[in-house]
Amino acid sequence: MAEKKNYYTIETDGSLICQKCGVPLEKSNAVFSYLENAFPVELPVCPKCGFVYVPEELAMGKVLSVEKVLEDK
Amino acid sequence: MKDHFKERNTRDYHQKQLFSKEELEARESLCVHEQPPFCSAACPMKLDVREFMAKMAARKFTEARAMLERISPFPEILAHGCHHPCEAACRRGEAGESIDIAGLERAAMFLGAPRKGKGLLKFRKKKKAAVFGTELFTLLVAAQLADKSYPVEFYVEAEDADALLRLCAPFLPPEAMAREMARLGRMDVNIFYGSPVTPAFVEEKRKGFELLCAAGYLVQEAPDPVTLLGEDGILCAPPASEDDGMGECLRVFYDARRASVSADRLAQGLDPSTMRGEEGTVTSRLYTDLSQTASSFRIPLPGEEAEGYGEAASREASRCIQCACEECLKGCVYLRHFSKFPRILTREIYNNAGIIMGDHMMNKPMNSCSLCGQCKVTCPNGYDMGEICRLARENMVDTGKMSLAVHEFALQDMLFSNTEAFLSCVPLGREEPCRYVFFPGCQAGAVAPEAVIRAYRDISGRLEGGVALMLGCCGAIAKWAGRREMFAEQKEFLRQELRKLGNPVILAACPTCKKTMEEEGLGRVKGVWELLLGIGLPGEAASEGGEAVLHDACGARNDAGMREDVRRIARELGFTLLPAEWTGDKTSCCGYGGLVSYTNRDVAAKMAEECRKEFPEAPYITYCMACRDRLARQGAQSMHLLELLYAAPAGEPPDISEKRKNRLLLKERVLREFCGEELMPEEMGFAGEITEEARRQIDDRMILDTDVWKVMKHYRETGEAILDQKTGLLTACRRIGNVTFWVKFTEEENGYTVRGAYSHRMTVQTR
Repeated sequence: MAEKKNYYTIETDGSLICQKCGVPLEKSNAVFSYLENAFPVELPVCPKCGFVYVPEELAMGKVLSVEKVLEDK
Repeated sequence: MKDHFKERNTRDYHQKQLFSKEELEARESLCVHEQPPFCSAACPMKLDVREFMAKMAARKFTEARAMLERISPFPEILAHGCHHPCEAACRRGEAGESIDIAGLERAAMFLGAPRKGKGLLKFRKKKKAAVFGTELFTLLVAAQLADKSYPVEFYVEAEDADALLRLCAPFLPPEAMAREMARLGRMDVNIFYGSPVTPAFVEEKRKGFELLCAAGYLVQEAPDPVTLLGEDGILCAPPASEDDGMGECLRVFYDARRASVSADRLAQGLDPSTMRGEEGTVTSRLYTDLSQTASSFRIPLPGEEAEGYGEAASREASRCIQCACEECLKGCVYLRHFSKFPRILTREIYNNAGIIMGDHMMNKPMNSCSLCGQCKVTCPNGYDMGEICRLARENMVDTGKMSLAVHEFALQDMLFSNTEAFLSCVPLGREEPCRYVFFPGCQAGAVAPEAVIRAYRDISGRLEGGVALMLGCCGAIAKWAGRREMFAEQKEFLRQELRKLGNPVILAACPTCKKTMEEEGLGRVKGVWELLLGIGLPGEAASEGGEAVLHDACGARNDAGMREDVRRIARELGFTLLPAEWTGDKTSCCGYGGLVSYTNRDVAAKMAEECRKEFPEAPYITYCMACRDRLARQGAQSMHLLELLYAAPAGEPPDISEKRKNRLLLKERVLREFCGEELMPEEMGFAGEITEEARRQIDDRMILDTDVWKVMKHYRETGEAILDQKTGLLTACRRIGNVTFWVKFTEEENGYTVRGAYSHRMTVQTR
């Protein structure tokens, strides 16, 4: 499948560690969904257990503003 | 029970009209803000006198002059000849003397600079016009048609321009005459002076002209009263009618304007009676509040050459009160915040409900109204914007367009009040049904639990017939959120609980609870204030008294009895009540009503500020716990009557987590003290604390500490968390309902220290 558009990408630098698996998070494909709308993104994800990390700046910034836009649709 | 918290799909394209067209128009017509001021309504030339006065007052004489030049080709003739029915209609006249509109029009013509340049390039029209006869009407029509770029030939008996103007406007003083003569000279009218104008002459000359106009003495029959077009295709002035209040000169200007509209229609090949718009004078329904208008009298305007003419004109124009109905705005932060009058707001909210796909731009405004009903009282026509906003919310909920995020926290809080924190109990050992049930309201338990328990102790000890206690929410939150089904469920729940108690008389301490329970027929409701006045104030009632403002609750807007009761109690407590204007049925909402404090914190803060505007330094007495809380949050010293009556000051306003904890603790204490039951609080099973900074942050982000602990519990069970090596903080998360909560913490030997939290509603997963 062709590479899909990503709405947002967070680069990882190895400083984020999955506490459970003990491995650094890696940039990986993830998808945000809200009110039946989906947004493919690249977020830090644990390569072992698949835990997706949403940093505070993203949650309180971009994610919040997109939520507000969708809420008025 | 229906799951009320299922997220909607933005692709559900339901739509329901908010009102029928008739209902919309009926509602909108109540708002008179856009009605013309009385002076303009009385002017058939439709001069915006209010705007003219504003310009004159600001010494923008040239702009004011341009306004007069726009409405008539010979503004000085009009200014001198018109007998100004606008002055009789001027509302200023009711407070002193009406504005000298005639004098100011002449002043504008003298003080304002003439228009520079020739204006827009106009192409000459193909249809040609011929105008016959010497009278003001024909002069005006000729000038107007020339202004509309018709080639005009004007045949007059007068020998020259001077004679023509003298015949048409004999009342014009010499200086003005000279100026109007120059104006005539600049007009693109081909004037044939000294023409032998007779009906035969008209017949002979009319060939080759599409548009014809003649003086009254040249035509036999009266023209159509609306179009002024005669049978013979000639436009002419109608015979002088009975006095219609306009006076002769103004009537001729008005007739000439109508004739030129007819000429336009004829030139376009249309029926001249079509598309004429609203002509003539109108009746204005504008409301003008004169209660604050001090009486004043005309400032004499000196002659044209005299010094200080401009100054005097400006001062005279400043006497104009700029009639406008802004009654609703005066006390309403919400309307002022969105800078919209109810009619416009209603139309936009109505259109918002009609949007099937796309952004609902009016969701926020409709959710920012406190539904407090103040506008219905302040509007001279009783415009009820609150009801419209509530109906609009219901409409959006019904069609699946209301975002759950907007009110979810408040609705969950209501459910918390009526499940986990709910209590319906009778005192231990009582076999008979109680005659009363004390219903303090959800916010009382949340903000001042000590006052509630003392009040219950006092009332149940002094009242014959037994007093039960019910801690819960009346359901108003669901009603405000537009969630009708949830409201009905809560109502039914309360109905059943009251039935279990044997339907006692409800002693409501909260005005909104009282109002809601009365309106919904949940039983006989009595205000606790009325009861206390009846049985006497409690022994511990004590206060230092002093001056205070009694802030009326919006829930008591239609409850004059309750408002009187609380005043009596406040006075008995030794308070001197300060005379506020925005009080009684005109009171402003504190920002809790309509859930504004959840949906639009800025507006809610301004609302609380508005409640304090009259006496910013004075202490406030309230009888609604939400008012008490919001005013205190805004920095006021506010005290609920229960706190004063039972000497139980609740202190600083609690945060959202403390409000929940207070309700649970109150329930525990009541059960222990009055029912002999011991509730075992749920143990967390681990130790943890939240730093001060984190506590402020989570409160601001509407995150409850119970949610934080749920995340931590999840972390303990799964071990899932992210360690940020740069900060040394761990971050764990858990989805609870529709929200994903993230908690930043450190793990120490003796437990966890929460250092921050955030949340989002989106879900996230790998792909």
